[in-house]
Amino acid sequence: MSSALNWRHHVVIQSLLSRGPLSEKDLHAMFQDLTKRNPGTERQLFDSFILKINKALSCANFELRACIDQYDGQVYYGVVNTVSDEHSKLGTKYTVPQIAFYKAIIEAIVQDASANAAIFSIHALNLSLDSQVTIVTDSQSQGSQPNVPTALKNFSLSQKEKTLHELVRDQWLDLTTDGVIRLGLKSFLDLRSWFRNNDLPSCHVCNEAGIKAELCQNENCTVRIHHYCLKQLFLQRKVAEVCPSCGTSWPYTVPKAEAEQTEDDNEPRGSKQVIKSERKRRRANRVVDDEVGSNNQDELNESRESQHGNGLVQKRGRPRRSDDADIGGSDASQSLTAISDARRVTRSSARLS
Amino acid sequence: MANAAEDFSQFGISKEEKDKLVGELIRYMLFKTHQNSGCPIKREELTQLVTKNYHQRNLPTFVINEAKEKLSFVFGYEMRELQRAHPSSKAQTRSSQQSVADSKSYILISQLPPNVYEKYVVDVNTAHLSGFTFVIISIVYLAGGKIPEENLWSQMRRMGLGETEASHPVLGNVKQALELLVQQRYLQKDKVNGPEGNTVYYELAERALDGPMNDRVKEYISQIVQDNTSVGAA
Repeated sequence: MSSALNWRHHVVIQSLLSRGPLSEKDLHAMFQDLTKRNPGTERQLFDSFILKINKALSCANFELRACIDQYDGQVYYGVVNTVSDEHSKLGTKYTVPQIAFYKAIIEAIVQDASANAAIFSIHALNLSLDSQVTIVTDSQSQGSQPNVPTALKNFSLSQKEKTLHELVRDQWLDLTTDGVIRLGLKSFLDLRSWFRNNDLPSCHVCNEAGIKAELCQNENCTVRIHHYCLKQLFLQRKVAEVCPSCGTSWPYTVPKAEAEQTEDDNEPRGSKQVIKSERKRRRANRVVDDEVGSNNQDELNESRESQHGNGLVQKRGRPRRSDDADIGGSDASQSLTAISDARRVTRSSARLS
Repeated sequence: MANAAEDFSQFGISKEEKDKLVGELIRYMLFKTHQNSGCPIKREELTQLVTKNYHQRNLPTFVINEAKEKLSFVFGYEMRELQRAHPSSKAQTRSSQQSVADSKSYILISQLPPNVYEKYVVDVNTAHLSGFTFVIISIVYLAGGKIPEENLWSQMRRMGLGETEASHPVLGNVKQALELLVQQRYLQKDKVNGPEGNTVYYELAERALDGPMNDRVKEYISQIVQDNTSVGAA
């Protein structure tokens, strides 16, 4: 065993397990409060703190991971389960119809051709769960088949509405004041592998799934880029505002929130603010880099373990395998996914570095 | 490490197999605790996780002990063993009939100091349940550890918690909230036959009778009594 975790590590782990994901800012504040060290100026100390936690968590197939909320570009941390097995199916209070409803919403959001990553709640409540019948039936082939579709069909509008509020409360989904449903922080954290496994188009800059992104104006071009990646590409690298792939003009406009900051930067004290904001941006990039690197290690370990697990699953027969894949969707990792994860993470880390 | 290796080699399984079993048991404890809102998990369930694939005698005990250490070392959780308490009217008859192993169960308790726990870990979305739990346990405690069902509801009605309340703004279904305390083994129900017919009693169960919990309840009760006294004086 490496050096032991102390109570400070336990605070971070238990806080994330109990309260859910934390923004980078809040986690940094907690770290500073606990250790009296500044994670901004002592970056390496913070990184090794997280790495030590992850080495310990891996014994039970958990991981403290960072992700970016694609709606606001902020970095968030959470503890996720990295293996879908019989135990992880117990880890939910949601019923089978509720999970089917959640999956239907997720699919509607990620399949949005305009990459807006949002649907109206009325649309969500009217989603048919029939497309989930096969999945659910397969997963419960031992049960009585006629009842499962009935359960989905009988899932009423009020039950959907109640489920929607529970999913928002638990941060799997996000609900704006004007009734728009978006992905929640937990979905960004947990479903990263699922996004890749389902061949969702990725951002041209960072190679992560481009769920909420901007599209190239050229109808024949498939390039999409996150808003925060656009900012990095055009403003910081000072590259011409054209599509990196086909060269079509890209009419980039600074988002409103950022526009205000830009105006502030133009004020007399703007020089200091510019310097600070640049440092913050670089830190954000480092966070992504570091997490990708550590994820690479974890994914490699995971793929080894998963290969072993995969053997066990194969021995039991295919129905169970699809069973795992379907019910455990919200628990992200599959054995095959783990292998592809390792490769893709390697590629993206190569590009980022 | 050396001790662990020596211990498990006698069962004829490798360190990797042992680590896998321990990891699975940890995951089961965490996921089951979440799903059941902290209800105790029977030792028998944990044993079966091991015995479904391995049949060596005493192996489950070793795996459970190893998982205890890991949960404490990695997560800062104590995997506390509880001995099932029985209603007072049936203590003698049942204790002789049921086996000891059958009445053991486990819960996860944070090992963080209370002030740190409250500042960083307490979930505001479920804190109201802790308050409810504390109040109910205190009422039963002040009644001598056992209270007729009707008396308990009488006290709860004074707090605006009616038996038929199904949409309380904080607790939701009040009857279900009370039933959850029974499942979580803070309380247990006991039916007693008497001259006037059946009477249902609520008693403190093993979770509430647990040492540290018991001490804290006394402390909180005396604190509230002091507060009321000072208010009365003013």
